[in-house]
Amino acid sequence: MGTTRRQFIGQTAGLGVLLGAGIPLLGACGGDDDEGGAVTDAIKDGLEPEAGPLRIFNYADYVNPDTVASFEEQYGVKVEITTFDVDAEAITKLANGSVEIDVHNSAAPNSLNRLIAGGILQPLNKSYLTNFDNLLPSFVDPWYDKGSKYTVPYTVFSSGIAYRNDRVDPAQVEEMGWDILWDPTYKGVTSILDDYREGISLALLRAGITDVNTTDKAQIEQAGADLSELVKTMNIKVNIEAYKDIPEGATDLAHTWSGDMLAGVWYMPEGTDASVLGWWYPSDGVGVVNNDCMTITANAKNPVLGHLWINHLLDTANAEENFGWNGYLPPIKGLDADYLIANEYAPENLRSAVLTNEIIDKGLRFEPLPVDADRLWEETWSKFTAG
Amino acid sequence: MAAPGTLWLVALFVVPSYAILAVAFGDIDPILRTAAPHWNPVSWDFTAMRGVLDRVFFGDLRHVFVRTGLFALASLAGCCLIGYPVAYYVARSARRSRGALLALLVLPFWISYLMRMLAWVNLLQTDGYVNRVLGWTHLGSGSRNWLDGDWPTVVFGLIYGYIPFFILPLYAALERLDGRLIEASRDLGASKIWTFIRVTLPLSIPGLMAASVIIVLPMCGDYYTNTYLTGGSPRTEMVGNQIEFFLRGSSQPQTGAALVIILMIFLMVLMAYYLVTIARSQREGARA
Repeated sequence: MGTTRRQFIGQTAGLGVLLGAGIPLLGACGGDDDEGGAVTDAIKDGLEPEAGPLRIFNYADYVNPDTVASFEEQYGVKVEITTFDVDAEAITKLANGSVEIDVHNSAAPNSLNRLIAGGILQPLNKSYLTNFDNLLPSFVDPWYDKGSKYTVPYTVFSSGIAYRNDRVDPAQVEEMGWDILWDPTYKGVTSILDDYREGISLALLRAGITDVNTTDKAQIEQAGADLSELVKTMNIKVNIEAYKDIPEGATDLAHTWSGDMLAGVWYMPEGTDASVLGWWYPSDGVGVVNNDCMTITANAKNPVLGHLWINHLLDTANAEENFGWNGYLPPIKGLDADYLIANEYAPENLRSAVLTNEIIDKGLRFEPLPVDADRLWEETWSKFTAG
Repeated sequence: MAAPGTLWLVALFVVPSYAILAVAFGDIDPILRTAAPHWNPVSWDFTAMRGVLDRVFFGDLRHVFVRTGLFALASLAGCCLIGYPVAYYVARSARRSRGALLALLVLPFWISYLMRMLAWVNLLQTDGYVNRVLGWTHLGSGSRNWLDGDWPTVVFGLIYGYIPFFILPLYAALERLDGRLIEASRDLGASKIWTFIRVTLPLSIPGLMAASVIIVLPMCGDYYTNTYLTGGSPRTEMVGNQIEFFLRGSSQPQTGAALVIILMIFLMVLMAYYLVTIARSQREGARA
């Protein structure tokens, strides 16, 4: 049985993006809306905004309602937000048409190649994105979307260890690094992220393996075995609840996203100060840095409004307002640690949770995995969570 | 006459079941890695199913199935211990107070299941009301972490979540019991306990079976009770959690669908046992 055209594109999609040739390679495979082909034409310049409603696809509680309200007021339209829980769910729903969406607000960079090659997204017309220059230089021409043809970053975050510094000695966290999550002293009060890429990468990094996109079976299986050790020795919890569990004291140590800890400030119980929150990220900068992307769907009914929404979030004041609510850092110039701490968005003790250009540039990225490797990662994760 | 029932069966069982088969024995889209169902059985591919069967019978998923079954059995036992006396009491209470009692039983369940589980998360926290009450009454240390990934918490959650669905059908069966048989037993000298054991309990077996089947089937596919009440502990992972991961969070929907089929087959065995028992009970009833 020969390889079908769609299968060929599927096999080359990841390669194309990884080579930095991404869209030109995919575009060469066929015309607009062709089966398995990327949509290559953006909307024309100077179009009037549609009447809406603008339909946004996003994680729950991931955008400030005030930021949404100000957009609605400015353009006289309604915004409807549909939520999803995990990236794979978002792809499935967009692919099977069970949701009608204009803006996918939080696409994962390592899934973009599939969304683009699958004809789910349309290119952006930057003439509508007058605030594009507000982006940090690292995101003007990102690795996953050369020339920012299809996407604009929404938030950027690192993966590290959140902890309560009144229960865990910061010096010990600094000394042990990832190993502290395997320290039985903290049995029953430790959690890791419920995300197979994040979880297995954690074990890889602990073992000194910095290739968080490895396809090496032995490395992946060893990472799975190391994670399984956590079930017995640590009674580990696997969830994405650190943003409240750490502040509330239900968990003392958590492998989580920096944005969760910055948001955690708002979940402190009455009488407990945010100064008890701690954040650790590898001092050599070798850790995972990830971001979510805003993009417009190929079948958007309101593509102009969609561009205006993205531009709205690229506005520095709006980005700041949004950060003040969800804790996830928009990669916008000026929103650095000094500014955010001075304006009381983040406490001094969480300074390291605010990403710097250096951390962003040095961070490890989740790249698209080949099908077989992706399956191996998923099955390894499934075996770990099976207990 | 059979048309409504047939339509119901086709729309809510045959079509969804066939869709699951088409996904399980289908393919994945090479680009999007989403399910690409094969609707024509001729092109079905059993590779994913073979892999899943291997994991279920000889690999890591075996203990997930066993654990799920044990949780369901323990929860069923809990429902019997709590639910039977409640159903019996309501069925035997004065007719005018029955409505109020039933309404009280059902009242908490006007709130969504997830909301109720989240409420229990608050109640069961280390500094929650459960520990406070245990501390005040000296029935416990008052510092136990109920959400630490222990099986009793999951079983408690399952009992709490499903017990009304156990009580209501059982109540219906007990309420229909012929009171004259109980009176006859007492008139013939049997004690209350003996009458219950020899008359009431045997006559309520069909209702008990129906109530058990009604709760055990969804319990075996439950995933959110465990997720919420253990903070995501692998020690209490149930089949439903694995199905959720593969169907919603992975690029292997066939694996998730295959797990659904295997679980369905296990549950069909249970259902078949129920049907055989009911048929036998009806035959014996007719002979009597």
